Amino acid sequence: MSVAERYDPNVVTDEDEARELERTWSSHRGFIGFFTEVGHVPIAKRYIVTAFVFFALGGVEAMLMRLQLARPESRLLGPDLYDQIFTMHGSTMMFLFAVPIMEAMGILLVPLMIGSRNMAFPRLNAYSYWVYLIGGVLVYAAFFLNTGPDAGWFSYVPLANPQFSPGKRVDVWAQLITFTELSALAAAVNQITTIFKHRAPGMSLNRMPLFVWAMLVTAFMIVFAMPAIMLASSYLALDRLVGTHFFNYTEGGDALLWQHLFWFFGHPEVYIIFIPALGMISSIITTFTRRPVFGYMAMVLSLVSTAFIGFGLWVHHMFATGLPQLGQSFFTAASIMIAVPSGVQVFCWIATLWTGRLRFKTPLLFVLGFFFIFVLGGLTGVMQASVPLDLQVHDTYFVVAHFHYVLIGGAVFPLLGALYYWMPKITGRKMSERMGKINFWILFIGFNLTFFPMHQLGLNGMPRRVYTYRAETGWGDLNLLATVGAALLGVGVLLFVANFLWSRRFGELAGDDPWGGDSLEWSTTSPPPGYDFLHLPTVRGRHPMWERDENQPVVVGLRTDRREVLVTRTLDAEPDHREIQPGPAWSPLFLALATGVGFVGVIFTPWGFPLGLILATAALVGWFWPHKADRPLLEEQP
Amino acid sequence: MSPVPVSTVPPRIDVSELPTTAHGPRAPLWWGVSGLLAIEATVFALCAVTYFYLRGSQPVWPPPGDRPLVGLATIQLALLLLSIVPMHLVERASTRRSLRGMRFWLIVCTLIGLVFLVLRGLEIALLGFRWDSHAYGSIFWTTLGIHTIHGLTSTGENILFITLLFKGPVEEKHLLDVQLNGVYWYFVVLAWIPIYAILYLDPGVIG
Repeated sequence: MSVAERYDPNVVTDEDEARELERTWSSHRGFIGFFTEVGHVPIAKRYIVTAFVFFALGGVEAMLMRLQLARPESRLLGPDLYDQIFTMHGSTMMFLFAVPIMEAMGILLVPLMIGSRNMAFPRLNAYSYWVYLIGGVLVYAAFFLNTGPDAGWFSYVPLANPQFSPGKRVDVWAQLITFTELSALAAAVNQITTIFKHRAPGMSLNRMPLFVWAMLVTAFMIVFAMPAIMLASSYLALDRLVGTHFFNYTEGGDALLWQHLFWFFGHPEVYIIFIPALGMISSIITTFTRRPVFGYMAMVLSLVSTAFIGFGLWVHHMFATGLPQLGQSFFTAASIMIAVPSGVQVFCWIATLWTGRLRFKTPLLFVLGFFFIFVLGGLTGVMQASVPLDLQVHDTYFVVAHFHYVLIGGAVFPLLGALYYWMPKITGRKMSERMGKINFWILFIGFNLTFFPMHQLGLNGMPRRVYTYRAETGWGDLNLLATVGAALLGVGVLLFVANFLWSRRFGELAGDDPWGGDSLEWSTTSPPPGYDFLHLPTVRGRHPMWERDENQPVVVGLRTDRREVLVTRTLDAEPDHREIQPGPAWSPLFLALATGVGFVGVIFTPWGFPLGLILATAALVGWFWPHKADRPLLEEQP
Repeated sequence: MSPVPVSTVPPRIDVSELPTTAHGPRAPLWWGVSGLLAIEATVFALCAVTYFYLRGSQPVWPPPGDRPLVGLATIQLALLLLSIVPMHLVERASTRRSLRGMRFWLIVCTLIGLVFLVLRGLEIALLGFRWDSHAYGSIFWTTLGIHTIHGLTSTGENILFITLLFKGPVEEKHLLDVQLNGVYWYFVVLAWIPIYAILYLDPGVIG
């Protein structure tokens, strides 16, 4: 409906409307409210806090490894515990921190940025969170019972086969994967639908903020990458539980099949973590240069082509397995090619920074830190695309240095910058700028001290995943330096947490738009109400907050006595219909618990699967069963 | 409250007359189901990849003496293809908003689905090799198992909708749900075509 009408102010006042919306969109109180929550902001907050708890646990594991490696022949950790700790560190950081926190930022910000009231599927959103939480709690419970996974975060067979890894450790890992990937897949479908169907009128695809584009591209990557690891971990679980032979050479299986399936997921995974960070960077740069990002179209096309090329590189993780020469050449070329879209984006940002009026606030500092660290990590990545060099440094600390530069530089620095930037939408307050700047420099120096020496250690031949080394190797000094750096890095993270806790209570009240941001999340209050916007906004450009005038229409006519949202058309975001969304519900938690019973059950017996299926069916019947009469009925009734 | 000068009231887009349901790609749920099917299709495609990967390293495939039950599988394929007709009529009935039509054809479709599941159970009982016999058995049973679970859940969903259509209250939005249930059923049927070709025709034709 494109007819803009003058509104008759006599009907209802904004205050009445706000009061009614508040009542309709509020959660239940207390204990029940906690378990039945379906709002996107509260769920995103839980995601963020949970992911940070796992980040802290993964960080403690990293510190333990650094302490163990600080000097030669240290006896702090034995080889068995060290194996569990490096596996837990990798698995935690990838599956329980990096992917979930990026999803969490999307769940928090996308509905606000596109001017909607919630995610498209509120209960699915809650389900994603519960499944993620159960998976994380499972793996840590097992770890504290000395059943922590110990075959590396990629659990290569034959090491992970039943004959070389007896016990339940690898099974726990396989189920961790099943839990977290299920959660990510559910979140991705939710994100795609939200972005396609719930944009504010006027926000055609070519006006979406770059962060929303980044989340859309990421969600599509998840949809096509994560099934590979779910299937692979199911094969592994079947091999271990019921004696199938997928990876058993003697019965016609193949160990390399695991590596192919794992990296067909594993390489896109890097971009699943990295692309949301690119979106955050674009948002931060736009705001702190006070100008639109240079080359919007080039940026979007770069994101999309990164996603496509990202699916064609997986074999570069397998150069050491003895592949045909043609395969090596193809994947070398693809690995070098992916530097092109990344380069385009970096140059677009440089052009933006060059021509903008810079304000050196903490978020921008983190972005500038990203440039330094990520470019170094990207360069070592291009180096390793070359097979002869890759064979030299494969499985050495050079690779450890490379991917920490890429992942911490490419994802964690932008993420911390993003949290400084968007904290007002989470707590209503700004984090301390002074502490933020100190925070940045400690993290930046600590990071480089920790990981730069690892390049040299790797070139000197120090292998990954060994619990100690002899003094004659001469690796002691650089390792000690790395451990000192890690301590500084730890201090930096603690400082971030301290700043968060302090500012949550005492920080400067932010107001709606503390930075002069360009996108719609800054048009509502900080933190936003349960219904996000009093009147859904409309937009007529890429930077709605900078293009606002008093004649910009708002949407009226959504009912306030039930949870109504506006659905718009996929391409041009013209209003299409109203949708009634469900309110607080127990069913997501029940379904997640049923899923949990099934997934944990199959670690011990194949009957766990039918049991979980039956429980899940019961939960799903409860989920879908109509119980409210306040919906339009068919004329013909039974 | 003092009257607001008209010039400061922003123009408004009134959406109160818009409908509360929509069909096809206009509806968010259509995108949700499509996303689910994209995931499921990827899983089946990767099963096929696994099949050919394992096949590539074997001199004899399938292992001597172990053959799939082509006849039984072909009857299943025919039944599944047949079931598309009543499911399509369910969809037609839903666009006519005919409760009776939806009920009738959904029951027909579900009955065909149940016969299919019985035959599938028979096939599983009669197979001459097991999942732990060899890698061929592993991928065969896994692919067949995943498809059977889809058949079971989809038939369960059909029964759930039949119950709903008899018990009520039937909401406007259930029309969309019934249609998307059909889309899921079509997927279960269509996914079976390439899987059937790979699992049952490949060993005889190429192997």
